[in-house]
Amino acid sequence: MAKGLIKGLGITLKHFFKPKVTVQYPEQRLPLPDRFYGKPEFYYDKCIACNMCVNACPNRVIKLETETVDKKKVVTKYDFDQQYCLFCGLCEEACPKDAIKFSKDFELTRYNRPDIKIEFVQPDQVERKKEEIKKAAAAKAAAEAAKAKEQEEQKPADAGEEGS
Amino acid sequence: MTIKTEEFLLNLGPQHPSTHGVFRIILTLDGETVVKAVPVPGYLHRGIEKLAESRTYTQVIPYTDRLDYLAGMLMNWGYVYAVEKLMNVEVPERAEYIRVIVGELARIASHLVATGAYAADIGGLTGFIYTFRDREDIMDLLEMISGARLTPSYMRIGGVAADIPDGFIEKCRRFIDYLPDAIEEYNGLITGNEIFQARTKNVAVLSAEKAIDMSLSGPVLRASGVNYDLRKARPYSVYDRFEFEVPLGTKGDCFDRYYVRLLEMEQSAKIIRQALDQLPEGPIKGKVPKVIKPPKGEAYAEIESSKGIMGTYVVSDGSTNPYRVHFRRPSFVNLGYLDEMLKGWKIADVIAILGSIDIVLGEVDA
Ligand code: SF4
Ligand code: SF4
Repeated sequence: MAKGLIKGLGITLKHFFKPKVTVQYPEQRLPLPDRFYGKPEFYYDKCIACNMCVNACPNRVIKLETETVDKKKVVTKYDFDQQYCLFCGLCEEACPKDAIKFSKDFELTRYNRPDIKIEFVQPDQVERKKEEIKKAAAAKAAAEAAKAKEQEEQKPADAGEEGS
Repeated sequence: MTIKTEEFLLNLGPQHPSTHGVFRIILTLDGETVVKAVPVPGYLHRGIEKLAESRTYTQVIPYTDRLDYLAGMLMNWGYVYAVEKLMNVEVPERAEYIRVIVGELARIASHLVATGAYAADIGGLTGFIYTFRDREDIMDLLEMISGARLTPSYMRIGGVAADIPDGFIEKCRRFIDYLPDAIEEYNGLITGNEIFQARTKNVAVLSAEKAIDMSLSGPVLRASGVNYDLRKARPYSVYDRFEFEVPLGTKGDCFDRYYVRLLEMEQSAKIIRQALDQLPEGPIKGKVPKVIKPPKGEAYAEIESSKGIMGTYVVSDGSTNPYRVHFRRPSFVNLGYLDEMLKGWKIADVIAILGSIDIVLGEVDA
């Protein structure tokens, strides 16, 4: 009568002697695939402040603020409000410079709500970038001035060659 | 002396594990017998259709994951299919095959949850653990290809987000080869169990006519013996290239509804195997403009999801955001018949009957 029942018990009994399929998290961890969407990472130096990620996001998670220094955009703020993130990866897909990426860190729980938001940009990073741009601009200006001077000097010679 | 009796009200849910989420049924009981049942959905309503109106066409995709979160891939598919129809986009063959593979994997995953949760509803928690063990393999596969387990957001308008990663095909094949063993185990553990059969056989018999009248779909409809599966009846994507059967029930009772799902898993595995064999090379995304702006108009497209016919209606006013999106959610429609199915059954059967419909509240409430 209870044949099916006993068969079921046999199946569970067989598994009793087989190796366990569970993993003892957090001591043991399974490998995560490369495409996994964990905690976001932002590469300040790669970002060109194009706003593509901000526009791609369905939940307005990313807040980007820029300042213009010598006609160049400097990212002064890149806030990622993780609590509203769907981890859909549309921002990563939209980014032309791979400046926003997702790591494999999935333990994102925090004790306090304000800690959830990630502020990626540090003030000293901004300062450094501004310095760099200023330096680059100065160097460029100097180079141009030197070039102009060189051309100026070459002109008479050119004219002479043309004549021959 | 006569004992005075009266009917009384009992709230089943919203916080109850057997309702598979936050779902409430107001039961009018006469002793233990159900006289009337009023389903009260809406506890998980997030207004996805309304949210879609303020998002661009691509940005709606992550929200569709959250409809039937047990088969997010299929929900993605239903939506992108409608937008593709609206825009007249051609999807490359490889993308269609990938969609079939991940879609059928999602269907198996969803049916595994249905099977396991049903066993747990009836009182056999072991079955639940066993199906979840195997569902884990599918979750790994989906995570590999899309980066997320439940909310893949993998499909894009005109194709899929990324190509198949290394190792996916081998892993998928291994799973497909293993699945028959797993199903045999479920049969031994759940299907063959006498108590399970006593609790489900001849319970809440649903006739084919009634199922059609209430426009039920999916395994619930096919368990009543109606041969209607969109993949066969009106093949979309590349489903006309695969050989598979549509499993049917004979009686339309709870047992048939449960068993049809098991049989469907086998067929899905068959489809995946053929799709893997035929998988063509080529691009994974069709010619779609960067900014998606469909012409003015409307489109309605249907796919066969794990719960039934999932339809998406999209209206465009020519801008970058959809003017209106509506989802025909099979779980919601299938619930429409709940009152009549429950009437006259004992309160313990309520759980068995509700479980056999296999609802997912993300989809019921949208
Ligand atoms: S993963 Fe999605 S929701 Fe999160 S920031 Fe990127 S686009 Fe926005
Ligand atoms: S899309 Fe990339 S480069 Fe552009 S602003 Fe965002 S992170 Fe920076």
